[in-house]
Amino acid sequence: MNVDDETLMAYADGELALEQRARVEQAMRDDPRVAAAVERHRALRADVFAAFAGVLDEPVPERLQPAAPAPRSPVRVDVLAQANARPLPARWAWPRWGAIAASLAAGVLAGALGWQQLRSGEASPIVQQGGELLARGELADALSQRLASDAPAGQVRLGLSFRTKEGAYCRSFKLGATAGLACREDGSWRIPVLAQDQAPEQAGYRQAGSDMPAAVLDAIDQRIAGASLDAAAERAAREHGWQRR
Amino acid sequence: MKTMSADLENDIAALLPRLRRFARSITFHREDADDLVQIAVERALTRAEQWQPGTRLDSWMFRIVKNAWIDEIRSRARRSELFAPEEEGGHVGDDYAAAHQQRMAVEKAMSLLSDDHRMVIGLVLVDGLPYKEAAEVLDIPIGTLTSRLARAREALQELLSDRARKPI
Repeated sequence: MNVDDETLMAYADGELALEQRARVEQAMRDDPRVAAAVERHRALRADVFAAFAGVLDEPVPERLQPAAPAPRSPVRVDVLAQANARPLPARWAWPRWGAIAASLAAGVLAGALGWQQLRSGEASPIVQQGGELLARGELADALSQRLASDAPAGQVRLGLSFRTKEGAYCRSFKLGATAGLACREDGSWRIPVLAQDQAPEQAGYRQAGSDMPAAVLDAIDQRIAGASLDAAAERAAREHGWQRR
Repeated sequence: MKTMSADLENDIAALLPRLRRFARSITFHREDADDLVQIAVERALTRAEQWQPGTRLDSWMFRIVKNAWIDEIRSRARRSELFAPEEEGGHVGDDYAAAHQQRMAVEKAMSLLSDDHRMVIGLVLVDGLPYKEAAEVLDIPIGTLTSRLARAREALQELLSDRARKPI
């Protein structure tokens, strides 16, 4: 029986429907030359595939990332973290605080980071300064003064506090629909990571406490040395102005 | 809409390894390949409203890569340095050397194909797209795709067996 080469190629590429496939397989059994032709198509495909397969394992250059931050900005903004945030240990379980007006964060962020539309508030709790984000106003006050175990007050929620490998203190926080990590350096709270919180309408599907974006969790993982601070350790750190020790 | 464009960015980011691999198969130089992907990503984001959710994003992106190659990169693409040493793992064994040599031979043979042939090979053999999707990326009927692919394979096979007969 006669099978043309394009059909053999399509067979080798897995493109044939069942009936045609059976025809080709019969032809391969009947004629070793047909079997050899199919094998050539398969071998070429395998060789070409193998020649470029390694590209998949190469790190992707930063410049190709669609959401790459502006050059020289140390801020990593991650809007990826939505439904698949990891489950969190119990200490992350915060009371749900319902819909807080997302009108807090600085209008400056929207332009500088191309990130999300934020209405500019009267006093920005987060400002951009010299290519960095710094906490101000209510956020800075809460980071400096409140313990994670304090009763909720105002719009800032504190997550956990920890020391970095370099000895600096960092605290995770939430501010409306924004979550981030703030680290105390040179008398300011710098914010190396700021991420959008999950959409509020998803809240009903989430496990209690599993609502910190993955970007923030990753940032904590990268920095934390040892365990997070308990209330007593937080209090002691607060008394020393969260200075590096 | 914010969430939609954020989703699109995330989905494009997830495709980057495949886009780079496809770009590598149609260019002759790794820097050109990455330039090509960068331009394609920029174009995709500026035309995000043309993207129809529910259709295949990979096909849409491959088409943008293809067009960016034709109207922007190809004219200034480098042909030299094709065999510039690549960063390789530390181990060098016989198997490894043979695989490496085989890879270089395929890359060289690919570089000698026509644009049309390189693209069809890049889509079907390198990326593994089904014929139907590859035909859509190239804006050609599936029959044309099949015959073009057959000719491209023949040409590639020919180049590779030439090399086998007279080693570099």
